[in-house]
Amino acid sequence: MSDLEGRYRLLLRLYPGDYRRVRGEEILGTYLDLANLNRRWPSVADAADLLAGAVRERLRAAGASDLIPGVRLAAALAFVTATGLAGLWAGAEQITANGDRSVPTFGPFATIGIVVWVAWLLVAAVDAVAGVRWTRLAIVLALVLTAAVVPVADLVGMPRPRLFHLVPQATLGLLALALLAHRPRWQRIVTLPTALGVGLSISASLAGRGAFSYRWDDGGILLTYTGVALLAVAVLTAAVLSLRGDARGLWATLVLLIPIGLLSLGPLSALTSDLVGANYPALPVIAGTAVAVVLGSAGSLAVAVAACRRGTTRGPLGDPEAAPATSCPTCGR
Amino acid sequence: MVDTPLREPTFLILTALAVEPMHGYGLIREVAALSEGRLSLRPGTLYGALDRLVDGGLVHIDREETVDGRLRRYYRLSPTGATTLHAETRRLRHNVDVATARLRKRARAAGPTVRRPVEGLT
Repeated sequence: MSDLEGRYRLLLRLYPGDYRRVRGEEILGTYLDLANLNRRWPSVADAADLLAGAVRERLRAAGASDLIPGVRLAAALAFVTATGLAGLWAGAEQITANGDRSVPTFGPFATIGIVVWVAWLLVAAVDAVAGVRWTRLAIVLALVLTAAVVPVADLVGMPRPRLFHLVPQATLGLLALALLAHRPRWQRIVTLPTALGVGLSISASLAGRGAFSYRWDDGGILLTYTGVALLAVAVLTAAVLSLRGDARGLWATLVLLIPIGLLSLGPLSALTSDLVGANYPALPVIAGTAVAVVLGSAGSLAVAVAACRRGTTRGPLGDPEAAPATSCPTCGR
Repeated sequence: MVDTPLREPTFLILTALAVEPMHGYGLIREVAALSEGRLSLRPGTLYGALDRLVDGGLVHIDREETVDGRLRRYYRLSPTGATTLHAETRRLRHNVDVATARLRKRARAAGPTVRRPVEGLT
């Protein structure tokens, strides 16, 4: 066995055992047929292709093959939401400190976060004019900026946005990395002006009110409203698609529970605080609530996949080994 | 069941199988040739697509061979697959016809292009 064959075999172990026993030699043979004679290592593209194929096959074996299209749909909704929030917070950055000159600012802006929000708006601009590869690269850069703004601001002693704003933004951005390669051009073009229009108009309308707490509070009701709006859109999409026997919306809703929960972290932390008998939601309570949101949402997704697995056992080459015992509540199979 | 309209890789895989059964490597080469090199399928993607097509009954397994110690499984287009390919081809042809007619109309509306001789060259 050559080095290359051994390494392809190692990667093939990512596939489910049953599938590998039936299809493994065939897939391996095709990779080796296509490989250059002098090649000793699988290319990065081949490794990514094998990884994607293994994930797809594991989901298919579990009867959850609609999960990947569902993640794509969730990514599109997450991307629009992330852009809208960036527009909103970019507007909020212009509200410095209600005229109080003793409060530190970042030049004419409230915090150094303006760099982050502009980066996210630029992602939408890149998406409108370039391909999905450039969009993903821009998302990665925006994610790096979102993560880096906390230590950088602390290092140089500048005000920064609160984690209540940064964490949901990063989560939505991570999900947006799964954007579908070929989206209609109109979808890509309308994202930025819509997000900018909605975001800036909301922040402008709230500029004179004391309730607007971009800088001093947990993001106030705006984050929660955004979470509720995202949930409503996801549920409505799921209902419409379900009428056509399409389970993508249900999976998308389950996937979006994590960012939706993190968008509502303020009120959820207050609730947790009451439950544990704390006077106010201190950092450990907020962190614990965030962990519970992530684990609970991921757990519900895992339960749905497991329910599909119990309902459907599909053979490696498409021959059902057993008829579905019950219809899966999520994918309907 | 495979969703229609078919995505381009699926359409080209079915097209490649329309003439004769093919194995994975042959399919990858044939799809690349049919798309004039624009579409380069990787094995993981190809077998994912073949799984869906076999599940949907559009493609059947024809036979298996071992060549140079490597397993080659041949796939053939099923009657359902041929019907789907026919329907998809009709749909695409209709779209092409409609678009072509509209473009001709647009060209006629723009009027004939008058080529004038360049002075000194005639």
